Amino acid sequence: MRFRAKIVDLACLNHFSRVINTIAKLAKTCTLRLTVCKLYFILSDKVANGGVSMWCELCQGNFFDEFHMEGVAAEHNEIYLELVPENLSRALKTAQSAKAVKIKLTNKHCPCLRVAVELPSLSSSSRIVTHDIPVGVIPRRLWNDFREPSVPDFDVSIYLPVLKTMKSVVERMKNLSNSIVIEANLRGEMNLKIETDLVSVTTHFKDLGNPPWASEDGCQSSAQGRDLERVAEARIDIKKLQQLLAGQQVNPTKALCNIVSKRIVHFILLHEDVSLQYFIPALA
Amino acid sequence: MKCVIAGAHLRGVVKTYNLTFQECDPLQAVFAKHMCPNILKVHSRLLADIMIHFPTSQEEVTLSVTPMKVCFKSYTEEDTDFSKTMLTEIQLNPDEFDYFQVGVDSEVTFCLKELRGLLAFSEATSAPVSIHFDVSGKPIAFSIEDMVLEASFILATLSDIEKETASQQPPCFSQRQESSKTCMGKSEKTSLDKDSNTAAVASKKPQWNGNALITESAKPTSPLAEREIKSIPRVTKKDRTGTEGTATTAAEDHATPEGEAAASRYQEFHSLFFGAVSCKEQAASSHISHSLATASDTEEDFGNVQSSQVL
Repeated sequence: MRFRAKIVDLACLNHFSRVINTIAKLAKTCTLRLTVCKLYFILSDKVANGGVSMWCELCQGNFFDEFHMEGVAAEHNEIYLELVPENLSRALKTAQSAKAVKIKLTNKHCPCLRVAVELPSLSSSSRIVTHDIPVGVIPRRLWNDFREPSVPDFDVSIYLPVLKTMKSVVERMKNLSNSIVIEANLRGEMNLKIETDLVSVTTHFKDLGNPPWASEDGCQSSAQGRDLERVAEARIDIKKLQQLLAGQQVNPTKALCNIVSKRIVHFILLHEDVSLQYFIPALA
Repeated sequence: MKCVIAGAHLRGVVKTYNLTFQECDPLQAVFAKHMCPNILKVHSRLLADIMIHFPTSQEEVTLSVTPMKVCFKSYTEEDTDFSKTMLTEIQLNPDEFDYFQVGVDSEVTFCLKELRGLLAFSEATSAPVSIHFDVSGKPIAFSIEDMVLEASFILATLSDIEKETASQQPPCFSQRQESSKTCMGKSEKTSLDKDSNTAAVASKKPQWNGNALITESAKPTSPLAEREIKSIPRVTKKDRTGTEGTATTAAEDHATPEGEAAASRYQEFHSLFFGAVSCKEQAASSHISHSLATASDTEEDFGNVQSSQVL
């Protein structure tokens, strides 16, 4: 099992750092899956996470100048590692002006991701900062736990409002209630509602638009074939929603959510070279 | 005792601040900086740039030098759980230092948390920082020298020897002193180096003359807490007259029974931070020491130094 990668371009490095920072805000521990072409940050929906799950996918070619990976076996050319993304975030934080960053899988005292940052210095030779981030190697028999979640059979799919606005609304609502109701219809309208003994607050968003989903049998969400008045709603933990919104450092190209009434809300945030899916289950 | 600071504002409003302070016995570490085989001099900016790579929770850091390279790394010991700890290491070229002298290859471990205070201070003064040290177990000194002040931070370093039996009452202290020389009048240029002619190099078993200070509370679990520091700068109380315009701040003083203590626990030894005051010494009369801060409501009269009874 071998892994070696290098980033030389500063813009790529900053972009990668931002992705890691976002992941670090969403999960304390997560799984890093390495394949020849892609990196995945996966959080599977264990009870410990509060049923939340995450699937983040990056094309390695968009970030790394060098990327060599050898999986556990020829026919299973992948590596699954368990790590604390905050550690990776911290290692990259001080690499703002780096000449190069190398990441390597090593096994000195225990399996580690060694992040070596080459920094410019006043002298002829560079300063090298090395961070050894402990990782856990996930054996192949457990790989099934980390399969890509399928898009649920949703009732309504709708584009999200501008994330910055949505974030500030949710942040204020967080002070009043522990749960929030997301309600949306196929006319591009979404409501965020909280209700307590003392007060109920609803924020209305209009003209958001509903994304078209193509499907073979054509029974999903072609707007004409559906009841335009149909409304889907789900009550979710407001902290989880706030975490998702707060973690976004850059505006995504596309942001939408799929709501399965009273079951789950599936968020999809797409950037040019990163896609993030986040599932928040509905509260009982 | 009170120190009164009053300011006159516009419109006749006067704010008065009453600050209380306690007298204590200033201690001076007996530590021969000039006898250290390893000396590094570096701008405080560089030191801060290095320490920023360590997490703020990092307690101890190891400095490892050879004539070819300098390396700061997270401190680890045999029973560190590597699967849970993120380790950081920074390698530097000797070229990066304004002055680089390595007489003996060494690896010293000291408390980073204590040092961060000095780093913040030195960045404010933007003076270069000198690092004097020896082999593990011997103290390491970080000093700043500026036109108006001279400050030294002396930190214990972890020795290689495993724990020893502790004495019944380990003396330990945490004290900070700063000396500032004003420009007016004749300020005596003093330096620790001159003072320490009389001092022995850090001895194996620290001896305490007279009273020693105790810190308020033991540090929470530190890996070094289990180890004994074999050599601590020998501390003597010196009688000093204040130099002109000298002001010191000192930590609290608790009385302890006189006597010797074999070794002190690292957890109760934080650091000695003090500046040179005067090279004049008087015959030690261990019961009386001069207070360096004069309490007065009138203009300072530098010749008038009050003596205080040691508790």
